[in-house]
Amino acid sequence: MSINRILKILGKDFAVEPRKPFFIWALLLPFALTLLFQFAFGSLFEPKPRLGIVDLGESSLTSSVQELEGFEVTILESPDELIEQVGKHDFDAGLVLEPGFDEAIQGGEKPTLEFYLSGESLASNRIIISVTAIEMIRGLEGEEPPVEVETVFFSDPGLPISIRLVPIIVFYALAMSGMWVPSSSLVEEKEKGTLTAMLVSSARINEVLVAKWLLGFLFATFLAAVTLLLNQAFGPRPLEVMVVVIVAAALTSVIGLLIGIYSKTATMLFTLIKGLGFFLFIPVIFYLFPDWPQWIAKIFPLYWVISPIWEVSIMGEPLSTVWFELLIALAIIIVLVIIAVLMRKRILD
Amino acid sequence: MKNPTSNSNLLLAVLKKDLRLYSRNMIYIFLTVISLVFFVVIYWVVPDTVDEDINFAITPPISVLVNDGLKSLPAQGVPESVRQQAKEIEEGFEEEGLGLVELENEEELKKVILGELEVYRTDQGQFIIRDPAGDQKKPADAEKVNLDIGMSFPPTFLRDAALGEKPKVTVYADAAVPDEIRNAMEGFISELAYQVAGYELPVELPDEEAIILGEDRLGNQISLREKMRPLLAFFIMMMETFTLASLISNEVLQRTVTALLVTPLKVWHFLLAKTIFGTALAMGQSVIVLLFVGSFTTDNWHLLLTIILLGSLLFTAVAMFVGAAGKDFIGQLMFSLLFLIPLLIPSFAVLFPGSVASWVSVLPSYPIVRLLYDVTIYDTLWVDSLGWLLYALLWAAIIYSAGLFVLKRKVATL
Repeated sequence: MSINRILKILGKDFAVEPRKPFFIWALLLPFALTLLFQFAFGSLFEPKPRLGIVDLGESSLTSSVQELEGFEVTILESPDELIEQVGKHDFDAGLVLEPGFDEAIQGGEKPTLEFYLSGESLASNRIIISVTAIEMIRGLEGEEPPVEVETVFFSDPGLPISIRLVPIIVFYALAMSGMWVPSSSLVEEKEKGTLTAMLVSSARINEVLVAKWLLGFLFATFLAAVTLLLNQAFGPRPLEVMVVVIVAAALTSVIGLLIGIYSKTATMLFTLIKGLGFFLFIPVIFYLFPDWPQWIAKIFPLYWVISPIWEVSIMGEPLSTVWFELLIALAIIIVLVIIAVLMRKRILD
Repeated sequence: MKNPTSNSNLLLAVLKKDLRLYSRNMIYIFLTVISLVFFVVIYWVVPDTVDEDINFAITPPISVLVNDGLKSLPAQGVPESVRQQAKEIEEGFEEEGLGLVELENEEELKKVILGELEVYRTDQGQFIIRDPAGDQKKPADAEKVNLDIGMSFPPTFLRDAALGEKPKVTVYADAAVPDEIRNAMEGFISELAYQVAGYELPVELPDEEAIILGEDRLGNQISLREKMRPLLAFFIMMMETFTLASLISNEVLQRTVTALLVTPLKVWHFLLAKTIFGTALAMGQSVIVLLFVGSFTTDNWHLLLTIILLGSLLFTAVAMFVGAAGKDFIGQLMFSLLFLIPLLIPSFAVLFPGSVASWVSVLPSYPIVRLLYDVTIYDTLWVDSLGWLLYALLWAAIIYSAGLFVLKRKVATL
């Protein structure tokens, strides 16, 4: 096997592949998924009360509400716009602060509160918004509350859903690059006949396969690392995170290589990836639902790379705590490499 | 020699060919079946109820807090209005949206919040406290109540608050309790104290009925499962774009269309056949999904069919546009996504109200999503849907004309 020829094939792939649409999609995917999962799905699982405010008189209440944790506050210009949006459930509630509202409260005038609730807002959100609004208005009076409230916290805060979604994004980065890139590149070469052309030259099958695997491996390592970086999930041990990412990229790229060897056409490749995708994706779901029996996830091969990524990057554990998982992952890689070697002649069919 | 073949026979022949090609393409059969099963399973798996309550525990029980508190008030010097306010304290805890669990003492409360004790609510509304480490079995026909916040009132709370002696209330909370809920609970305690101490509200509150905008769905909220109904039909229609685009791409790539055109078949036969095939494919599958999720009623079936027809036509037109590019499988897949991702955005407006900007309503798929949402969730009928139907028809016509134009030009240049 010639390293020089492997590098030449790899160089050719790096020159040609980035022009292809799936390569661009694979590159864009971590950004798109981060945006989608962190902003959209995050709010699906943990919706926050949404409050719209129209401040017609520069009330100090507005800035106080904006500083509150746990609320989505939007400032609007006109009461009509607010009423329309509350009616459409764009907000759970709306508050109109008339000019001189603060002075009226401080003067004990008891102004009427212009307050609206969406018919579709949850009972819990109505209580949260109403009680918080009253408490803040009481704050304008400047009097001490007639009670002392002390809060005692138990346990550590659980992980927010935005963090629990990170394994899904990393999985897609690994799958799109590690599985798609080498397999589609190989299948395309088969379909266009360039693979045969390459093999009648001095290049050998093993060299082509190693080059394709390297292509997927490098791309998967890069994209998984970028995904973790985008989601601020590199943790306190970035170098150790890179070790687990490298093992994960190696595993997904071998799977991609096997799919590429087996698939004769792009259609077959797509069917295989779609069919296998769900099977490979299952361990990731268990991070969303920590109450499920976690041992089930261990049945699936990608558990042995997703779990180390989770432990080392998200939970900040040292590499020594995941050596067993990494060992299993390496064993799976070796088995898959042996299968790939045994199947390599199939690419000539 | 005169051509004896009628237009309908020609159309039928092309449709038969397309159907045969479709049925031989294992990936589309696989994707169609798996999508249908997946969507229907997803629908039945997602929750069909909405938990609107904030569950919290208090100690001592309200009756003890009020009765003992009233007994401890001095006979003289406390206005009758304060006694009256104290008696009404119970009503404050009965607000809709508050799931109250009363516990005997502070130790029990702490253990519940720490998860060392479990609380179950029976069908009759009684609460059972269970030690998971003990021998007691999980009560049958009872639902576990997740309690992660609780308040411990001093036995002298009423007396102290009424006399202005600033009682101290302890809130025990799991660290995972969101800030807004913890703040609201603290505010709730303050408001109780203000009430007992005889402070009036600093504002006049408007009548509750006047401030609720739109239909009041308290206790009858739209569940995630209900929200999924319109989306499933929409996604299925959208997915068929891939299938039709691929069929057209293949015709263009392999030039079978030029072979077809040397027969008595005209370009318009080819285009009409593709329109009928694509629309029927998308419509058929959407109807199957909507049937499985029980969306059709005797009042809405004709309206729903009309909406699905318009949606299917819209996505067929997109498929013509994509297919005309004549790309290979992967290229076509990626090219389709360029069009489908923007068309997907309006569905987010359904799942996440308030999360999307108003410009989304300009997108061609918006009226279809809106109509499906209104009809399957709010039982809207023809009269209230006419405006959106016209809007959907307008977009379908524009995109269809564009798709037709592009594909016709492509066929002519082959």
